[in-house]
Amino acid sequence: MAPDLILILPEILLAVFAMAALLVGAFGGGDIRARPILWGVAAFMALVGLLVGLNPPAVGTAFGGAFTLDGFARFAKAGILLGAAILLLMSEDFLRRRGLLRFEFPVLIALATLGMMVMVSASDLMTLYMGIELQALALYVVAALDRDSPRSTEAGLKYFVLGALSSGLLLYGASLVYGYAGTTLFSGIVAAAAAGEGPQLGLLLGLVLMLTGLAFKVSAVPFHMWTPDVYEGAPTPVTAFFATVPKLAALALFARLVHEAFGAIAADWRQIVAFLSVASMFLGAVAAIGQTDIKRLMAYSSISHMGFALMGLAAGTEFGVQALLIYAAIYVVMNIGTFAFILSMEKDGEPVSEIASLNMYSAIAPGRALALMVLLFSLAGVPPLVGFFGKLYVIRAAVQADMVWLAVAAVIASVIAAFYYLRIVYLMYFGAPREGLDGGMAPAQWIALSASALAMVLGVINLFGIEGLAAAAAATLAGA
Amino acid sequence: MIGLEHFLVVAAVLFVTGIFGIFLNRKNVIVILMSIELMLLAVNINLVAFSAHAGDLVGQVFTLFVLTVAAAEAAIGLAILVCFFRVRRTIEVADINMMKG
Amino acid sequence: MLQIILFAPLLGALIAGFLHRIIGEAAATWTATGLLFLSAALSWVVFLTFDGVTQQIPLLTFIESGRLAVDWAIRLDRLTAIMLVVVGTVSALVHLYSHGYMAHDDNFRDGESYRPRFFAYLSLFTFAMLLLVTADNLVQLFVGWEGVGLASYLLIGFYYRKPSANAAAIKAFIVNRVGDFGFMLGMAALFFATQSLDFDTVFAEAPALAETRVTFLGMAPTAANLIGLLLFLGAMGKSAQLFLHTWLPDAMEGPTPVSALIHAATMVTAGVFLVCRMSPIYEFAPVALMAVLVVGTATAVMAATIGLVQSDIKRVIAWSTCSQLGYMFAAAGAGVYSAAMFHLFTHAFFKALLFLGAGSVIHAMHHEQEMPNYGGLRKKLPWTFAAMLIGTLAITGVGIPLTHIGFAGFLSKDAVIESVFAGDPEWTFWAILGAASLTSFYSWRLIFLTFFGAPRGNPTTHDHAHESPWTMLVPLGVLSLGAIFSGMIWYNSFFGKTDEVARFFGIPYVAASEAPGDDHASDGHAAEPADVARRAEEAHDSHHGAFAGLPGEGALYIAPDNTTLDDAHNVPKWVKVAPFGAMSTGLLVAILFYLIAPGLPARLAGATRPVYLFLYNRWYFDALYDAVFIRGARGLGRLFWKRGDGAVIDGAINGVAMGVVPAVTRAAGRMQSGLLYTYAFTMVLGVVLLLGWVMWRAAL
Repeated sequence: MAPDLILILPEILLAVFAMAALLVGAFGGGDIRARPILWGVAAFMALVGLLVGLNPPAVGTAFGGAFTLDGFARFAKAGILLGAAILLLMSEDFLRRRGLLRFEFPVLIALATLGMMVMVSASDLMTLYMGIELQALALYVVAALDRDSPRSTEAGLKYFVLGALSSGLLLYGASLVYGYAGTTLFSGIVAAAAAGEGPQLGLLLGLVLMLTGLAFKVSAVPFHMWTPDVYEGAPTPVTAFFATVPKLAALALFARLVHEAFGAIAADWRQIVAFLSVASMFLGAVAAIGQTDIKRLMAYSSISHMGFALMGLAAGTEFGVQALLIYAAIYVVMNIGTFAFILSMEKDGEPVSEIASLNMYSAIAPGRALALMVLLFSLAGVPPLVGFFGKLYVIRAAVQADMVWLAVAAVIASVIAAFYYLRIVYLMYFGAPREGLDGGMAPAQWIALSASALAMVLGVINLFGIEGLAAAAAATLAGA
Repeated sequence: MIGLEHFLVVAAVLFVTGIFGIFLNRKNVIVILMSIELMLLAVNINLVAFSAHAGDLVGQVFTLFVLTVAAAEAAIGLAILVCFFRVRRTIEVADINMMKG
Repeated sequence: MLQIILFAPLLGALIAGFLHRIIGEAAATWTATGLLFLSAALSWVVFLTFDGVTQQIPLLTFIESGRLAVDWAIRLDRLTAIMLVVVGTVSALVHLYSHGYMAHDDNFRDGESYRPRFFAYLSLFTFAMLLLVTADNLVQLFVGWEGVGLASYLLIGFYYRKPSANAAAIKAFIVNRVGDFGFMLGMAALFFATQSLDFDTVFAEAPALAETRVTFLGMAPTAANLIGLLLFLGAMGKSAQLFLHTWLPDAMEGPTPVSALIHAATMVTAGVFLVCRMSPIYEFAPVALMAVLVVGTATAVMAATIGLVQSDIKRVIAWSTCSQLGYMFAAAGAGVYSAAMFHLFTHAFFKALLFLGAGSVIHAMHHEQEMPNYGGLRKKLPWTFAAMLIGTLAITGVGIPLTHIGFAGFLSKDAVIESVFAGDPEWTFWAILGAASLTSFYSWRLIFLTFFGAPRGNPTTHDHAHESPWTMLVPLGVLSLGAIFSGMIWYNSFFGKTDEVARFFGIPYVAASEAPGDDHASDGHAAEPADVARRAEEAHDSHHGAFAGLPGEGALYIAPDNTTLDDAHNVPKWVKVAPFGAMSTGLLVAILFYLIAPGLPARLAGATRPVYLFLYNRWYFDALYDAVFIRGARGLGRLFWKRGDGAVIDGAINGVAMGVVPAVTRAAGRMQSGLLYTYAFTMVLGVVLLLGWVMWRAAL
C-alpha cells in the first residue's frame, strides 16, 4: 500500500491540513483565526502545487488503477493549486471589508481544491464521482457564503439544485456504463467499448449522460443556465473562484474521461462535444452583449471560453488535448487578472459590479485601466496578445482534425464576442463621464492584475514554455 | 422470474420521476430535495442490479459511496434552504428568481 | 531631359508649398509657373523629335517583394510623348492663367495666403499626372493614378469654407474609390496571371491571357477579358463614365483653372490613356472592348442630353467633357486607339480653352456662373468671346466636309465617328452621331446665351464686367492656336493611312503585298452581309497593309485582324458628311431657340416637362445613388454606430437596436428567466436531445 499512498501524498497532505485548519477554526477562536487560516491554506496549497508541479514523489497508478498520477494530472493539479492559492490571497481584502472573512471559507476552498485534485487524477468512475462531489458540495456552500444576502443564498440554492440534478444525470450515466462495461475502471471501460461490433447502446447512453454531467461543470450550453445567476449572486471572490479553478479541473476531467474511458469510440463523442462547443461559443458571445453587470458578463464570457476550450477536445487528438490545456491555462490567468480588478471595484465602500460605473475609468486610474484593457483585449483574442494564441491553438486543432466548420464558427463567434469586451474598453476610455469608482486596490489584487496583464503581453514570446509542458501532459493522456 | 431488465425499468421510472419532480414542481423546494433523493436511489438500484447480475461487488461499493454522498448532499441542501428561508421567508420555487437575464 | 520634365513640377510644388514664406508669394508662384513652362517646352522637344522607338529610362528600384519586383522607370513611347505635351502645355498655361484668375478671391479672408497653396497643388497634380503617363509598370501608374486623385480631391475642395466644395471633393474621392477598387482587382488579377506588372512582360503574356480561363463570381471569362473589364472599371471612375460619372459635374466646385486642367484636359483622360496603354490586353479581350464601346457611347449620349438643359456655364462644359470622354472610349472600344488618342489630344486644347474662356467670363462677371444672368457680353469681352468662339467651333467640329481642313474637333471627332461606324454594332454609330448634334446644340447655346442677346441678371454686374488681364488672355490665345491647328497638323499621324499611323506610334508594319491574309473580311467584325461584300471589294483596290508585330512592340498594339482603322477610311461618303450634318442641325436649332425665338425653349420645356425634368435632374442618377448607396450606407453606419454606441453611452443596453444579434441576445435573456424549473427543463431538454441524437446514430 505504501507506493499508493505516496502517489496521493499531495491530496493527503491537503486533506489533513484542511481538517487541521477546520479544527483550529472551530476550537481556536473561530473567525478571529480566519486570516491566518486563509494565509496558511493559500501558502500550503501553493507549496503543494509546487511540489506536484516540480518534483512529484512518483508517477503511476494507485488503488488498483482507480487513481492515476501522470503528466496530465500533474499539469492540471499544479494549475489548480496555484490558481486557488492566488485567488484566496486576492479575496482576503474583499472578504474582510465586507465582514465575510469566516474561517470556513479557506477551509471549504481547500476541500473543493482537494476534490478537484481527485477529479483530475480519477481513472475510475467511483474516484470520479467522489472527486466531483467533494468539489461540488464545498462549492454549493461557498456560493451561499454571504448568508444574509438574498442574492448569495439564492445563488447557492440554484447552484445546489441544478448541481444535484447534473450529479444525478452523471451518476445514472455512470451506473449504465458500469452495467454495460462490467467495470468502473477507465481502462476496463475502454476495452469493453472497443470490443465487439461497435459499442453497445447502453454504453453510449451512459456516455451521453456522463458528458451532460461534466458539461454542467464546465457550464457548456445547454447546461449553462446556472452560471450567470450564480456568478452574479455569489460574493465576488467566490465568483472569481468559480470562473477559474473548477473550470480547469472540469475540463481536465472531461478530457481524461473521453480519452481514457471512451478513447476507442471517439467518433461517438466528438460530435457531441463539438455541438456543446459551438452552442457555448455562440450563446456565450451573444447573450453577453445585453449584460449590464460585469459579473454576469464574465459568466457569459466564461461560457463562451469554455466553448473554445471544448473545441480542442472535439478534435479528439493529442494536439487537441494540448490545445485545450494551453487554452485553459491562459483562460485561468486572464480571469484571475480580470477578477482581481472586479474585486477592487467599489464605490463608497460598497462593491459595485455595474459596467457603466467604469465610464471614463481611464481618467481615474490610468494604470489599472490600461491593465484591464490588455486583459480584455486578450480575452477577446486580439492579436498579438496571449489570448489570441490560445484561440489559435484550438482552432488549429479543429482544422487539423478536419473540423473546418467548427473553426469557422469559432472565428465568427470570437468576432461577436469581441464586441462586448471592446465595449468595456470603449467605456473606460470614451464613455460618458459619471460618478465612477473610488477606492484603492489591495496589494494582492494589484499584483495579480498587473502580473496577469503583463503575462498577456510578455507571454507572446514563448507562452512561458507552457506549450511544451502541455504537449508533454497531453502525450501522457492521449498519446498513442 | 424477475430479471435485470425489470430492475432497470424500475430504476429508470424512478429516475425520470425524480427529474420530472425537479422541473414540474413549482411550489416547494423541499420537493426538489426529495426528487434529488429519488434520482440517487434510482441510480443505486441500477448499480446494485448490475452488480448482482454481473456478480461483481464493485457496484455495491459504489452504492455505498453514493448513499454517503447523498446524505451529505441532503444536509447541505437543507442548510442552504434554511439560509434562503431565513433571508427570504419563502421556499416557493417560483420565488427564486431574483437574478435573471 | 525626361527627368527634368518629370521632376520640374515636383520641385515647383515643393517650392510653392514650403518655401513661399521665405521667398515670398509672388516669387514662389512664378517659380512654379516657370518650372512648368520649362517642363512644357521640353515636352514639345521630346514630342517633335521622338522617333517612335520605345525607350525605358530606369530611375530606381521601387518595390521588391517576392516575385513582385517593381522598378521605377520612365517609359517613353508615342503615347507618353502625346500625354507629355498635353499635360505639360495645358498645365503650364493654367499656371499662367491662375495668376490672373486667383489674384483675388472672396472665398478667402484678407491676408490669407492661399495662392502658394493653390500653385503647389497644381504643380503636385502635374507631377502625379506625369508620373502616371510615364509609368513603365502598373504599380507606378497606380501611384500616379492615386496621386492625381489626391490632387484632384485637394483642388476640388480648395474653397474649403464652402460646404458644397467639400461635399464635391468627398464625392469625387468616393466615386473614384469604386473605380480604383476595380483597378486594383485588375492589377491583382494581372499579377496573378503573369507574375509581373511590368508593361513589357505583361504585354508579352497577353496572347496567353486570352487562352486562360479564370473563375470569377461564378463565371469563367478569359483572363484577358476579366482584367480588361476590371481595369476599365478603374478607367470609368477616373474618366467619369456612365454610372461613375456623377462626381465630375460636382467637381466644378473647384476653381475654374482646376476644372480646365484636371477635369477637362488631363486627369479625366487618364482612363482613356489607360485603355490605350493596355491595348495589347484589350486586343485579346473582345468582351472588355465591347464594354468599353458600349459604355463610352452611352456616356456620350447621356451626358450630351443632360448638357442641353443645364444653366451653370461650368456644368455645361463639364457635361460636355463627360460626353467627349465617351467619344474617346467609343473609339478605343471600336479598336481604333489612335483615334481615341487623337480626340484626347485635340480635346485637351479646345476643352481647356472653353474652360479658361468660361473662367474669364466668370472672372469678369464676379463669379456669377448662371448663364441666364449673362447675355450680350461679346462687346465687353471681345478677346474672350473670340477664344470661346474658336473653342466652340472646334468642339462642334466645324470644317470643310470631305477634306482635312477644319478645326481640331472636326478632324478628331469625325475620326471617332468613322471608327465607330467601321466597328460594330451599328447602333453605336447612330447614337454617337446623335450625340454630335446634341454637342453642337448645347455648345452654341452656351455661346448665344452668354455673348448674344440683351444683358440679363444684375445690371451692376454687367456694368462692371471687364476684359481679363493678359495672364489670362495669353493662355486663351495659345490654346486657340491648338484648337484651330492641332487637328490639321497631326491628322495623318493619328488617323492617316495605316503605315503613317504605324510609323507615328512605332508599330511594326507589313506592307499591302505581304499583309497576312486578305481574309479579314470574314472575321468577327463583319456581321452584315453588305458589309462583308463592301470590304471584300475594297480589299483589292485600297488595302493599305496591316499592323504587325507582337504585343508590347510600339506604343499601341493592334492585332493583325483588327482592320477597323482601315475600314474607317473607307466608309461611305455619307458617313463622312454625316457629322457635319449633325453639327449643322444642332447649330440651326440653337440659332432658332436662342437668337430667333428666345421664348421657344421655355415653351418646349413646359410642353415636355417630364423629359425636361429628367434631363435637368441628370437622369436622376444622383437621386438614385443618394437613395440606394448614400442613405443605405448612412443608415448602416447609423445602425452600427449611432444606435449601437448611443445605447452604450447611455448604459442602457436592454437589448435595444442593432439587428439580429441583439434579438438573439434578448431571446437568450428571456430564456434566462431566473426560474429553477426553466433551467432544469433546459438541461433535461439538452439531455434528451443528445440522447436522441446518439440513439438515432446508433440506429443507422
